Amino acid sequence: MGEDYDVVVVGAGFGGPVAAHKCASAGLKTLVLERSITPGDKVVSGLVIPFYGFLFAPPFIRDGNPPLQKPIRKVVNHFVKNGEIYASDKSLWLPPPLALTYSAYCEPMCVWLADRAVEAGAELRTSTAVMDLIMEQDRVKGVVTDKGDEIRAKVVIDAAGTQDGLALKAGLRRKLPPDALELYMLWDFEMAKEDVDSTFGNSVEFYCAMPDEKITAPLGYGSTFYIFTYRESIHPGLGQFLVTEGKIPHVARLLEEYFENFTNTVSRWKNDIAPKLKLRAKMFDVCPIYAGLDRRIREMPIYGEGMLIIGDAAAMESSAFGDGVPNAWFSGAIAGDVAVEAVKAGDASASFLRRYDERVKAHSVISASLSDTRRWDMRWALPGNDEREMRRRAHELFGRGVWRYRHITGQVLREMKTVLSRDPMVAGKWMKMFNRYNRNCESGYSDPPSSYEPAPKAGIYSEGREAVIA
Amino acid sequence: MTKTYQDFPGVEWVEGSGRHISVAPERCDGCGNCVRVCLAKCFKISSKKAVVDNLDMCMECGACWYVCAPEAILFSWPPGGTGFRTRWG
Ligand SMILES: Cc1cc2nc3c(=O)[nH]c(=O)nc-3n(C[C@H](O)[C@H](O)[C@H](O)COP(=O)(O)OP(=O)(O)OC[C@H]3O[C@@H](n4cnc5c(N)ncnc54)[C@H](O)[C@@H]3O)c2cc1C
Ligand code: SF4
Ligand code: SF4
Repeated sequence: MGEDYDVVVVGAGFGGPVAAHKCASAGLKTLVLERSITPGDKVVSGLVIPFYGFLFAPPFIRDGNPPLQKPIRKVVNHFVKNGEIYASDKSLWLPPPLALTYSAYCEPMCVWLADRAVEAGAELRTSTAVMDLIMEQDRVKGVVTDKGDEIRAKVVIDAAGTQDGLALKAGLRRKLPPDALELYMLWDFEMAKEDVDSTFGNSVEFYCAMPDEKITAPLGYGSTFYIFTYRESIHPGLGQFLVTEGKIPHVARLLEEYFENFTNTVSRWKNDIAPKLKLRAKMFDVCPIYAGLDRRIREMPIYGEGMLIIGDAAAMESSAFGDGVPNAWFSGAIAGDVAVEAVKAGDASASFLRRYDERVKAHSVISASLSDTRRWDMRWALPGNDEREMRRRAHELFGRGVWRYRHITGQVLREMKTVLSRDPMVAGKWMKMFNRYNRNCESGYSDPPSSYEPAPKAGIYSEGREAVIA
Repeated sequence: MTKTYQDFPGVEWVEGSGRHISVAPERCDGCGNCVRVCLAKCFKISSKKAVVDNLDMCMECGACWYVCAPEAILFSWPPGGTGFRTRWG
C-alpha cells in the first residue's frame, strides 16, 4: 500500500515498454504494470512490422537484436475467381538487404521490449491488472491494482491497448463505435523453413475476390485473406468489421465460413501450401483499423490531468495497412519525453501535457497513417462487381501504387530526408540495421530473453472438447 | 490450473478469471449482437435476453461489449495472471 512513482505505465505490450524506456533512461522512478503472466502473451496480432517503424522509433530498437522472424520484401496480391488465381499483382517489392516489413510473434517481441525497459531502470510487475485510477479533484493521481494496491504516480501513461477501459474511467474517452473495429481470426501453422522459402520466398500474400466467392469479407469491410510468412511457419488471417454495410452480421459464423471456403476451393492453398502445414494455433482479436477515419474517435482526447494515452488505447491504428506497432512506438516515445518534462517541471496538469497532443498531431507519419483511406476505398469496387476497379484499388494499396501515394509513403520518405539532414550518419546505422536484421532472421538469433515463463509451445488437448493440462 | 480447448489450439486459459463479463438483463433488448460476434460462443439467448453461457474460451477481445448498443454488457479485465494466453499471437 501507498507506493509512489514518478511514472506508472499500464501495459507492457508494444508501446508501454518504449514509454517506460524513455522515462527510466532519464532517471525517473518508473513502474510498468502488465496483467498477463509474460509480456505479450495477451497481444494477439498479425504481425508484420513495417521498416519505417524501426527507422523512426527510439534507437535502442534499431540498434538491437529484436526477435524478428523474416524480412518481407515483396507483396503478392492474388485475384481469385472460382478458386483459381486469374491474375496477380507483384509490383511492390524492395531489393535486399532492404525490407518492406518484418514478421514477428508478439510474445517474444514484447518480452524483448520489456527487457530493454527494465535494463534502463524501469520496474516491471506482471500478473497485475490495473482495475481503477486514483482520482483527486478530477486529476489522475495513480492506479489501483486487482490486488487492491494503490500506487501513486505523477504521470500515468495508459498503454493498455484496444480494449482499454482506464481512459473511460478517467472520463477522457468513450467506448469505440463498432463500425471502426475489425474482428480478426488468425491461424499459425508450422511449415519447414525450406518449404516456406520455396513456396513464398520473402513475400506475403493477399487474396482478393468479389463477395460471391465467399472467401473474404466484402472488399473494404475487412482485410482480404492474407498469409504472413515466418521463418518456420506461416500465419494466415482474415477479418471483418463488426458493422458491414450498416448491419452487424454474424461475424463469428462468417469468419469460419470464409476460412473453410478458402481452404476448400483455392487451389494454390490446397495443392501448394496445405500439404506442408501443421496447425499450431488459432486465435482472434479486435483491431480498431478505421478509428483514424472516424471524426468521433479523432476528437476524443489523448491526454488529461496527470494522464497520457498511447498506441491502441488512443486508437492510433494505421487505417490502410492495419499496422499499429509503429504508431504505438512513436506515441510511446513522445509520451515518455513529455512525462520526463512534466516530472522535471513539477507540473502534470492537462495544460502542460497538451504538448503531447501537439507533438502527436505534428508527427507526419502518425497523421498520414491515420488518415489513409485506401483500404476503405476498396469498397468502391463492390457496386457493379467491378473487378478492374478491385485490381486498380489493390494496386494502389499493396502494389507499386504505394510509391505514388501522397499519404503515408510520401511522409515516410520526407521523414527519412528530415532525419538524414539532421544527422547524415544515421544512413549508416539504417543500413547496418537492415543487414543485421537479415542475418538474425536467417539464423534465428535475438538478444537472449530474461528468465520468464513462456506460454505453452503448442495446444495439448485430448479428443474431447477440453482437457486439463496443468 | 490451466485449460486448453480443441477449438483454439495453441491458446491456454489460466483459471481464476471469474466473471469479467456479465449482462445486465434490465438493459438487454435481446438483439443478439453479442452472440453474432463472439467467436468463443460465450453467450446464448434465453427468454429473449442474452446470458453469459460460459467464458471458458473468452479471448477478452471486447467484441461483445462494442456491439451492445444499450450498454447491457459489463466488460472488465480478469485478475492479473488469469485468462487466456498464447505465444503465437
Ligand atoms: C489481428 C491483428 C493484426 C494486427 N496486425 C498488425 C500488423 O501486422 N502490424 C502492425 O504493426 N500492427 C498490427 N496490429 C496492431 C498492433 O498489434 C497494435 O497496434 C499494437 O499491439 C498496439 O500496441 P499497444 O502497446 O498500444 O497495445 P498492446 O500491444 O495491445 O498492449 C497492451 C498491453 O496492456 C495490457 N493491459 C491491458 N489492460 C491492462 C490493465 N488494465 N492492467 C494491466 N495491463 C493491461 C495488455 O495485456 C497488453 O499487454 C494488429 C492487431 C490485430 C488485433
Ligand atoms: S448485444 Fe447487448 S442488448 Fe444485444 S443481446 Fe447482447 S447483451 Fe443484449
Ligand atoms: S470478449 Fe470476445 S471472446 Fe470474450 S465474450 Fe466478448 S466477444 Fe466473446
